[in-house]
Amino acid sequence: MKKFIAQSEASKKILNIAQMSSSLPVNVLIIGEVGVGKKLLAQNILPDATYFEAKVLEETFINDKFNIDEYKELIILNIDNVLNKKEFLTYLNGLKIVATSNRNLTDVESQFAIKIDIPPLSKRVEDLEELKKIYLHEANNIYNTNIDINDVELDLSLNGNTLRKSIYKTVSMRALSDEDMMESLEYFISKKFDEDKDYRDLLKYFEIALLNAAKIKYKSQLKMATKLNLNRITLRKKLEQYFKETSSTTQGI
Amino acid sequence: MDSQNFYEELIEYDLNPYLLFDANGKVKSYNKEAEFLLNFVSIKELFQLAVSNASANFGFNQKYIALKYNKQSYYAILVGYLSEDEIALRLYKVVSNKVNTINNEKLKLVNIFSLIDLSKNSTLLSSSLKIDELYDISIPEMRININNFLLCLNECFLYFAQDDKISLQVQIKIGEYEIIDNNKYKIVALEFISNRKVEIDNSLENKAINANANIFINHNRLKLELPIIP
Repeated sequence: MKKFIAQSEASKKILNIAQMSSSLPVNVLIIGEVGVGKKLLAQNILPDATYFEAKVLEETFINDKFNIDEYKELIILNIDNVLNKKEFLTYLNGLKIVATSNRNLTDVESQFAIKIDIPPLSKRVEDLEELKKIYLHEANNIYNTNIDINDVELDLSLNGNTLRKSIYKTVSMRALSDEDMMESLEYFISKKFDEDKDYRDLLKYFEIALLNAAKIKYKSQLKMATKLNLNRITLRKKLEQYFKETSSTTQGI
Repeated sequence: MDSQNFYEELIEYDLNPYLLFDANGKVKSYNKEAEFLLNFVSIKELFQLAVSNASANFGFNQKYIALKYNKQSYYAILVGYLSEDEIALRLYKVVSNKVNTINNEKLKLVNIFSLIDLSKNSTLLSSSLKIDELYDISIPEMRININNFLLCLNECFLYFAQDDKISLQVQIKIGEYEIIDNNKYKIVALEFISNRKVEIDNSLENKAINANANIFINHNRLKLELPIIP
């Protein structure tokens, strides 16, 4: 099982609260944005408990397919998605519940003696650093690369979820050989055939990438044209076609 | 017995407190209930209460006003004066429906300080409140309705979350006991002391009742008292 990373002061406190809560006969509500580690923390409190998406569980209640006697404790994920939370929790009365939510639940807060509010990763600097190290180490191991974290464009919009994805994406792309790239392109293009794209439509996928890379590398249209061995008028037409650029808005010409 | 004595006896044994002040606020006479009440509120405060609610002219003035001294709440007062020399005050008790029994089923033996720490840490995660703690660590493990006690404590900490600093004292009350179901229990008091006046609503009072606790407010202090059930 993955661990809830607790390097920052806030997370250490949170982990301490979780550990104290695990032995008490009270319900716990864990609140936080997507990807902050709510499920991991819930599993830290109830390591042996079954977990359910709240919406799915609600449907099994409605269909009368849930046998409550099978459980003593449950982890309920995203309880904020349930329409009638009071009724939902009444149904689970007698069980120890650890629920997660993306937002505060004022209507049923009295059902949870302990509330844990996990701050976003951007506010837990030490945790963020640790997670970056872990994910980068994982990705470098898988792809047999040695990418530095400074070369990765990090995405924290969905906290740990997008952080991991952004690291893996960069590392996997850097790890591609020419053969991998050709294979990948082949697969990509074969999927596009299903959308009835013709030669001209498909060409843009190559040309946009090529022109973007050249723009970043050579900065000016003049240099781009020289290095790509391309007529300047042709280059300008292509830039206008793909980027709506005109010579007046392009720098360095 | 003449009627004068009869009325005096009636007042003496009345369940509602009665006090008679002279013009300087000195108590001239009072009944048994008032004697008990004076353990928790000063004569000066009650005199001020009478004077500020007296009718403009000689006579009697009834006023519905919510008051609470120690555990007892009052819903109305009667202030009367027929001369410049004397003023009388009568307070009307709220009938309490609190049953002095405890549901043993949900009580669990627990260290109260663990619960205080848990509530404090979870409620004040993003608060900068500083708490000076004075704990009597000799308080033994006691039986508590953990869920309800945490809900009550959470609300107490939440109430002070925006303060800069409070102190929290947790001590056994020496020489005081609570009788519940004919059993005598020692009392533990949790006192939150702030730098501002404390005012609470019914929600916290109800949470305290559910946690088998009594709640008291005195200016800048909020106090919870719980029986130590071994």
